[in-house]
Amino acid sequence: MNTIVCAKQVLDPEIPPARFKIDPEAKQVIPPPGVPPVISVYDERAVEAACRLKDKHNGKITVLSMGSEKAADVIKHAISMGADDGFLLQDPAFEDLDSFGTAHVLAKAIQKIGGYDLVLCGRQAADWGAGQVGSILAEMLGIPVVTLACDVQAEDKTLRIKRLVSDGYEVLQAPMPCLVTVSTEIGMPRLPAGVRLMMVRKKQIPIWNAQDLGAEPAQLDKTKAHMEITGLSVPTRKTECELITGSTPGEAAANLALEIAKLI
Amino acid sequence: MSPVGATYWGIPGYVIFWALFAIAFGLFLQRVYFLYRLMRLGKQENRFGRIGERVGGMLVETVSQWCSLKTVTPKDRAGIGHALVFWCFCLFFVGYIIFIGLAGGFGLAPLIARTPFETAYSSILDVAAVLVTLALIVAAIRRYVLRPQRLVPSAEAAIILLMIFSLMVLHVLGEAFDLAARGVHASWPPLGAALAGFLSRSGLSQGTLEASYRGVWWLHYLVILGFLVYVPRSKHLHILASFVNAFFRPLGPRLALAPIALEEQETFGVSKIQDFTWKDLLDLYACAVCGRCHVNCPAQLSGKSLSPREFIRSLKEHLLEAGPGLLARQTGTSSVSQAETQTDTPTKTPLKTMIGDVVTEEEIWACTTCGACQEVCPVNIEHVRKIIDLRRNLVLTQEKMPETARAMLRNMQSRGHPWAGIQSLRLRGDWTSDLGLRILAEGDSANTLFWVGCTGALVERNVVATLSMTRVLKAAGVDFAVLGESEACCGDPARRAGYEFQFQIMAEQNIETLKSHNVREIIASCPHCYNTIRNEYPRYGGDFKVVHYSQLIADLVSHGKLRLTNELSSRLTYHDPCYLGRYNSIYLEPRQVLQAIPGTKLEEMERSRNTSFCCGGGGGHMWIEEQPGTTKINQMRLADVLKTGAETVVTACPYCLQMFEESIEHKGIGDSLKARDLVEVVEAAMTQSRLD
Ligand code: SF4
Ligand code: SF4
Repeated sequence: MNTIVCAKQVLDPEIPPARFKIDPEAKQVIPPPGVPPVISVYDERAVEAACRLKDKHNGKITVLSMGSEKAADVIKHAISMGADDGFLLQDPAFEDLDSFGTAHVLAKAIQKIGGYDLVLCGRQAADWGAGQVGSILAEMLGIPVVTLACDVQAEDKTLRIKRLVSDGYEVLQAPMPCLVTVSTEIGMPRLPAGVRLMMVRKKQIPIWNAQDLGAEPAQLDKTKAHMEITGLSVPTRKTECELITGSTPGEAAANLALEIAKLI
Repeated sequence: MSPVGATYWGIPGYVIFWALFAIAFGLFLQRVYFLYRLMRLGKQENRFGRIGERVGGMLVETVSQWCSLKTVTPKDRAGIGHALVFWCFCLFFVGYIIFIGLAGGFGLAPLIARTPFETAYSSILDVAAVLVTLALIVAAIRRYVLRPQRLVPSAEAAIILLMIFSLMVLHVLGEAFDLAARGVHASWPPLGAALAGFLSRSGLSQGTLEASYRGVWWLHYLVILGFLVYVPRSKHLHILASFVNAFFRPLGPRLALAPIALEEQETFGVSKIQDFTWKDLLDLYACAVCGRCHVNCPAQLSGKSLSPREFIRSLKEHLLEAGPGLLARQTGTSSVSQAETQTDTPTKTPLKTMIGDVVTEEEIWACTTCGACQEVCPVNIEHVRKIIDLRRNLVLTQEKMPETARAMLRNMQSRGHPWAGIQSLRLRGDWTSDLGLRILAEGDSANTLFWVGCTGALVERNVVATLSMTRVLKAAGVDFAVLGESEACCGDPARRAGYEFQFQIMAEQNIETLKSHNVREIIASCPHCYNTIRNEYPRYGGDFKVVHYSQLIADLVSHGKLRLTNELSSRLTYHDPCYLGRYNSIYLEPRQVLQAIPGTKLEEMERSRNTSFCCGGGGGHMWIEEQPGTTKINQMRLADVLKTGAETVVTACPYCLQMFEESIEHKGIGDSLKARDLVEVVEAAMTQSRLD
């Protein structure tokens, strides 16, 4: 079975919080120096899901990433985990696209690759967290979509997907081709280990630009974007601490319960 | 007439002598050849270079018995006994060749027997026999009454003790009956002569004496042959294998790891006994199960399941168990028809899976790679690389590792350092701000580089020491540059946790960076970086002159370039980091520096220098969680520190420093005990009069 995984490169969420800086004027994040960007955690799970399916059913995994040259590292990371191939979607026109624009570029690339059974995305990007690209992409490709998967199994031409809901999961069946967005609950991604890790370093990742993809200029026109950022700020968090006491632990607990009751 | 010259039931003694010899020697050779074939199941490894040095080292180590004498401590003097028995054994061995082999078997008795030489040599052997017997008594008491932790009581040991004892008794009896039968009244050899006098007076007939002499002689001969047959079949195989192992010992840095051979494509590291190299298998033969490693292993002492003694012993048993099957398969595949017929018959005994049944994953991950086991092992066994080879398989092929190890390795792979996720994390280049340091940009060159290391650059507490370091270097007028945010991890944590390819990537990248700046000399502050760059990078083309800062400071102090003028009046103790001490034999310099500070009093811990006890942080264990339900190694080490009564524990490694800080905090004794990096103490001695 042939799988296409869309993966995004994001600012490392593990940087010390104090070092997270934004430019409120330009409404942009200022990446701190010397911190390599990483693959979005959810997208890494999507790669993991693809690798697990490949372990069982063979087939081919192709990874797409849209971004700067550095985003080639994301594709290499996926290849070292077990993906076979990857394309970097890079064009000045792709910068700062909203979810619709991004989905359009990805859809064009996926159609260019063709012959796929499954498209996997992370449930959302670990930076902006909009969680829209997957669904829009499925719509553009005209295939069914299942979001928030915590398990994906393939049987013949159908997929069995466990999908997270607020109080557990539901099991869905979908025909292939299909798009699935993957959640962290699928489990830890594998550690890229074997020689692939070394081989992939010298691998050239092919680049596709807007023209290669035949992307429609109207869809990339930022003046017609569906989404506009009106403001950007770092959330400030205030913590107030009140010590609840009581002459006995039981009384302290009762007082605590009373305090909590006031809040709800 | 010598007992061999006589005829027994019509058969000449010579025939019996040589027939017995042929049988025993045949059995001996059969076993040795079998063991050799088993050993050859292992992978190739070149240990044949510098033959002269190998022979020399082997002789020096064994003949002088340095191998066992080096392990003698006030608490464990068994090494002295071993040396004594060894030397006496050598005397007896020569004696057997002359008096039994040449005089008996080759019929040269007329030239040898009853000469002053014989009397003299026998007298020496008498003394030796007494010494050996005393040593045996002590050994037996230790083994079966005192039962020290390091020894496992075994039937094998008892058999050998009895055999040696009977050889001693038979030696004396032989002398005595010979003298008595010949009616010689002499006073030498002392034991033989005394006993002969007693026998002569006992009224035994001449015939009985003669017959007894022959009986004793033959029995003596039989026991010697029995020894020959038994040794290679027991743990006393070490008598033979340890010589060979001393010959093939590693000549370079003993604990440096070798790269994975890339021709192995499917699996990496070691998962089956035949994946080890032949030298690793030879190690198994050489083990005397003396348990010195067992009682020095921090993992074992803190209650983890790993014991280096049991590790080696189980592997040996496994080799002897699985080996014959493997040999059969080897010969089987050469004849195709046989192999084909065998395919559908299931193997009789299901083979054990080495990782799991013989050595557990838990054991494999418990090792801190501290090297204490190898340091005390009298027979040059290399434990650490075996453990790392097993980890390599777990990580690279089976993808099995503790979650904490996985998290660290993921960080190494995607973030280039092991520290992501901790509270006090800094950004790589942050520490350099406002210091006016020379930070190398692309295209810049520098002769001397201060290599800070991830921990010194990223972790709050260690950054304090790094800053101290830059100030000290500047004060001493050392011209150096730093890489700032373009410095990467040296790769050590990945390598010790078995993530070999990631290490290799990092090594190659770092070497490229260092070369691009024309760096020749590196000052390392972390012993792990120091060890990796100095001992392991040369395999990847990185030849730099690497000094540890403790060496540099010692040098600066002795040349008067750094003046430690302030009196610190403090009681200190110094903890030897494993990767500085045992890995690189740097014991003196840090102590010299501390002793150069006026007013300090340096107290040594009981376990120090080469027998220093690990802080618990090596081999990836800064990040890998210790087995639940066991003592934390850093707390054990803290107890050692407390015994000295020192107010400050000084170390020269960022991991050790963190480990002490953590254990001190855990115990809540931060007011009475401080943990400091050596360089912090040095700076205090330069600028202030208190260590705070
Ligand atoms: S290296 Fe240290 S922890 Fe590992 S087995 Fe040897 S003594 Fe034990
Ligand atoms: S490995 Fe070395 S130290 Fe350990 S039991 Fe064997 S011979 Fe003794």
